[in-house]
Amino acid sequence: MRYLILGLLSIPLFELCAHAWIVRHVPAVSEYRAASDFIRAGLEPGDVITSAPAFTDPILRWQLGDRVPLAMAGRSDDARYERMWVLSIRGALPAGAPQGQPELQREFGRVRVLRYRLRQPARVLFDFVEAWERAEASIVRGGVPTRCPLRVGGTPRGGGLGKGVLLPVRRRFECDPRSPALFIAPVVLEGLDNEPRYCIWQHPQGEEPVSLSFRDVPLGDELRLYAGLYYEHERMREGAPIEVSVAIDGRERAHFTHRDGEGFQRWTVPTAGSEAATGEVTLSVRTSDSRGRSFCWAGETLRANAGGSP
Amino acid sequence: MIPSGERFGRTPDGLDHVIGLVLCCAYIALLVHTADAIGMSRDEGMYVYAAERYARWLEQLWQAPSSALTRESIDAAFSVNHEHPPLMKLLFALGHIMQRKYAIFGDDSLSFRFGGMLSAGLLLWLIYGFGTRLYGRAAGLFAALAYALLPRPFYHAHLDAFDVPITCASTATLYAYYVSVERPRRAPLAGLCFGLALLTKHNSWLLPGLCGLHFAFCVMLELRSRRAMATRQISILPYGLLAMLLIGPALFYAGWPWLWHDTFARLRGYAEFHLHHAYYNMEYFGVNYFWPPFPSSYAWVMTLFTVPITTLVLGVAGVISACVSVLPALRSWLRSPGPGAYDPTQPTWLLLSALLAPLALISLPSTPIFGGTKHWFPAYPMLALFAGRAFAQLAANVFRSQRAGLSAQVALRCGLGAWLLAPSLVETIHSHPFGLSHYGVAAGGVPGAAQKGMNRQFWGFTTRSLVPYLREAMPNGGTLYICDTIFTAFEMLIRDGHLPRSFRVTGDIANADYALVHHEKHFAEIDHQIWTTYGNVQPAHVLLYDGVPIISVYKNPRR
Repeated sequence: MRYLILGLLSIPLFELCAHAWIVRHVPAVSEYRAASDFIRAGLEPGDVITSAPAFTDPILRWQLGDRVPLAMAGRSDDARYERMWVLSIRGALPAGAPQGQPELQREFGRVRVLRYRLRQPARVLFDFVEAWERAEASIVRGGVPTRCPLRVGGTPRGGGLGKGVLLPVRRRFECDPRSPALFIAPVVLEGLDNEPRYCIWQHPQGEEPVSLSFRDVPLGDELRLYAGLYYEHERMREGAPIEVSVAIDGRERAHFTHRDGEGFQRWTVPTAGSEAATGEVTLSVRTSDSRGRSFCWAGETLRANAGGSP
Repeated sequence: MIPSGERFGRTPDGLDHVIGLVLCCAYIALLVHTADAIGMSRDEGMYVYAAERYARWLEQLWQAPSSALTRESIDAAFSVNHEHPPLMKLLFALGHIMQRKYAIFGDDSLSFRFGGMLSAGLLLWLIYGFGTRLYGRAAGLFAALAYALLPRPFYHAHLDAFDVPITCASTATLYAYYVSVERPRRAPLAGLCFGLALLTKHNSWLLPGLCGLHFAFCVMLELRSRRAMATRQISILPYGLLAMLLIGPALFYAGWPWLWHDTFARLRGYAEFHLHHAYYNMEYFGVNYFWPPFPSSYAWVMTLFTVPITTLVLGVAGVISACVSVLPALRSWLRSPGPGAYDPTQPTWLLLSALLAPLALISLPSTPIFGGTKHWFPAYPMLALFAGRAFAQLAANVFRSQRAGLSAQVALRCGLGAWLLAPSLVETIHSHPFGLSHYGVAAGGVPGAAQKGMNRQFWGFTTRSLVPYLREAMPNGGTLYICDTIFTAFEMLIRDGHLPRSFRVTGDIANADYALVHHEKHFAEIDHQIWTTYGNVQPAHVLLYDGVPIISVYKNPRR
């Protein structure tokens, strides 16, 4: 009984100490600022910045957001980057951090800065999202393809839950002015995992395709795609499948089907055996029911580095 | 002597009611003093709107009763928020009328919220009284303070909402019912309390079932006892239950003018709204739950993560101690029923079922979990009562060899109580005004919970904590996209004088000078809308609580 009583009486001591320890180990904003200044001074082209645990992401963007473009914040992979800076607290590492020791470590109070060298098995030759405006967009109606012109202007309306992307997007290929969702442009979209995806919005219209073609794409060894839908359009698993066709120089090289619940998926198209070094890559989307089919994709072509594979 | 048995308290006397009243008033004073820092929440904004309509009706009732009682007038007032019964909204409305006429409250928010605070104060009085009756004065006092110092209920106690009021009404009903088991003459009080509970929130629907099961158990024991000994300990007629079932619904009908017309259709509508409630988002261990099945562990884990550990351990110790005291007594009584072997009112089973029922209900995979902990608040007074029991027994054990006088004994018990309540006090102070974002030591605190992927807030009330930044960043006011904060709640910041009239709300992110994002997992979408619209991902400011982002503020680069 004596030990039981002592045990009960010691619980407040444990709880008070644990509370004090937790509060004492919260980093100050000044520590984040010092760590960010250090990163800023060492940034080079090809660097990616991230933070861990994930809840610190807004703090990272607060301190270093001017060095985090949309493409970095909504990246589908780290293939294009050579080094990774990590702003870390509580000993956490991001999911994408490489195994092994970082090449650099510095501590700023309770914030740690780590830098990793990313040993990429392949290098990115072409980024489709980056090149979207040089592409040609088209929509087929009654079997007749029509070009979607590039439009600039308009003010996105609204904001809030369930809206997905706010329309109109300022720079876009407009495929049907009467159907605001039928446009093609890069956006940041919330994927099924609630993570940001910087991707090309390409909403299917129905059974006839909506297409985007890129000329003179260096094909490399592999064409890699990431594709999915806006969170609320996919989470109930009620929407029609989306048929995605990838053609190179007019010939279909791959066909994928996106089904609700899959989230952003990675699809690969081997291109190593292509006769030409470059080609016209066309991605077309169709569906049997176009309601809530906010298809969005990112992609790149890659060339294997020596001893690696994409 | 170490108190033992199922019940070792006594009927509260005059001094106890003085102590209860002091607890009640002190808690209300504390809530009034701390309310200003808590922004109005989403639901409160809706109830403010309803209360203003009810207030107009009350004034009409005062001035021209016959016209107020027409169907048109009743429907005009009570069609607003008719998915919830009116008792608390009428109280909020009364506060609002008093404020308009006499300006007795510091600001408009407080005038609406005072009714809720009153119920929080009364709840402490009730817990103290119930605890004293069951386990003695020290236990009652400890239980009341243990409840008062729960961080989440402390936050909710400030609000013009129904969760603390229904906790008060449920506890009052259970207490009154319990007393009626022993003293049937008090049965009408159980009916009255149940009627008020029905008029407060639909959680009350559970109460007859809980009391019915408890009474059936008591009757079973009583009948066996009578057969064996031919002595009568309690009445087998369910006076309390009958009062609840007769007075409760009558009061419910009489007190809700909305039901006076189209009664059955409106009753059905009310029931269906809650039986088929919409589902909202809630993050739990990194997953955004928006549709059933919901995790059965939710209520238990959230209780573990948000109730201070010391209180929780004492509560569990009290449950074990109470059960240990009941089971052997029952076993020996079953072998040879005799007088005094068991407590005929069986308080342990009543308290235990009232503790577990709300948690079990939330554990059903079909029950929405969007309300966080507030949906099982009626369980917490029971937990506090068990903690009070454990405290009384612990104090008796610790000080049993002391030969001190009465005042020294009281002082020693106060010291022990203060020590056991110190973590709750520290955590509750630390949680203010971020009550819904607060997590205790079991979760690793606020950052530990964020790292585990637990919900950080809901209702958008934290915008109040941004006021100093907004005033500095927008000295001339401007337009603001307010994310999860409802318009009436934001308007209250202006009515209360926290922000000048030059602040305007817009629903268009693109047209806002600044845009807010309240960090909840599913609100990531708003971040992404802002990034695409503003062309960058950098907030101008991030509101932090224990280093965890609560709100990001973006400046529109095009304005």
